[in-house]
Amino acid sequence: MGKGGVGKSTASALNSLFLAQKGFKVLLVSLDPAHNQSDIFKRQLSYKATEVLPNLSVIEVDQEHWIKQYLKDVQHQIKKTYSYLTAFNLDRYFKVIKHSPGLEEYALILAFKDIRKRFENLDFLVFDMPPTALALKFFNIPPLSLIWIEHMLALREEIIKKRDLVTKIKIIKKERETDKTLNKINEMRNDYLDLKNTFESPSNTHVKLVLNPDKLSFAESLRILSFLKDININLSQLILNKMKNVLSWDDNGNAFADIPRLIFPNSEEPLIGIDRLQEFLIKNNNSIEKQMIEV
Amino acid sequence: MSKIRTTIREIWGKVAGIWQVADGVARGKAVEITEYEAEELYHIFGIIVLGSFVGLPSPPMQISLDLMPFMEKELILMMEKVDTAHEPISDLFSVLDID
Repeated sequence: MGKGGVGKSTASALNSLFLAQKGFKVLLVSLDPAHNQSDIFKRQLSYKATEVLPNLSVIEVDQEHWIKQYLKDVQHQIKKTYSYLTAFNLDRYFKVIKHSPGLEEYALILAFKDIRKRFENLDFLVFDMPPTALALKFFNIPPLSLIWIEHMLALREEIIKKRDLVTKIKIIKKERETDKTLNKINEMRNDYLDLKNTFESPSNTHVKLVLNPDKLSFAESLRILSFLKDININLSQLILNKMKNVLSWDDNGNAFADIPRLIFPNSEEPLIGIDRLQEFLIKNNNSIEKQMIEV
Repeated sequence: MSKIRTTIREIWGKVAGIWQVADGVARGKAVEITEYEAEELYHIFGIIVLGSFVGLPSPPMQISLDLMPFMEKELILMMEKVDTAHEPISDLFSVLDID
């Protein structure tokens, strides 16, 4: 994570490359709509995994595609379960709904879930996150959704209690039907709990914050740190990118004191193309390897 | 003898019929308010889930959309509610049998 332009894509590419060279099977996923990985690897990338090295594949997530697919699925479900007349005018509404706020980050969640399932046999999934605002919304989806879901669950259970009471007293001889809405809410609850636990678990998710030696990037990083703390997500590493000198802006070292650091020195040439990335790793091999092992 | 038996059976049948109707009415009456409450709760649930469509605070869009396929009853209820929406007190009074 990090402010726009600090080098999240380059840092994630370097991290993936480092892990792949150590013999791990790695998938690098670009969740950033800017899709810099295509430029970095000088390859046309898509949602189909493209192998750039024997142990390293890269994919790019197309948010638009996921939003369209999701809305199509919901519409299909509605048409299947509703009577004809109720579902009559839905097309019109769905054309508007696809522009609703919130669907952008949900598209990323859908892609994240799909990738986690499809590539569960790999050693590492490295996600190149979008800039701060969208990335924080992405991480905030599970806890925020769970707040709503818990309240809706309580209300639904109250409804079912009353409905069952009426059925019992009126001696209505029909099989006690299972409430499909309640089942769906419970299913969603389990889904979001699983995601929340995955994001919060330091053994499953390592959130790395990339920052540059400039005041704006530092200030935004502080806000990111505080937001992540609020939703119970811990930073596992601080990547100080484009470093020229020692830190002179570090707020007396207090804010990020407990977080392990990885320092990427400033590269004189742009790190574009797999050869350049490899050269950079070889050139800084000793220091990066030492830091990685420490982490 | 058999005629008397038939008559008794008929009377018994009618008494049982009356009893069944009375029992049904009493049971219906007993849960009338609970039924109304349940219906109102369905309505509240509908408003919460689909509130974004009418400008109310609502859950994240994906929660509403994921539940939409199961919300036909709530949607129909909301549309019916439009008829009584301008006179909510009279609607409540008719349920509570207040003249």
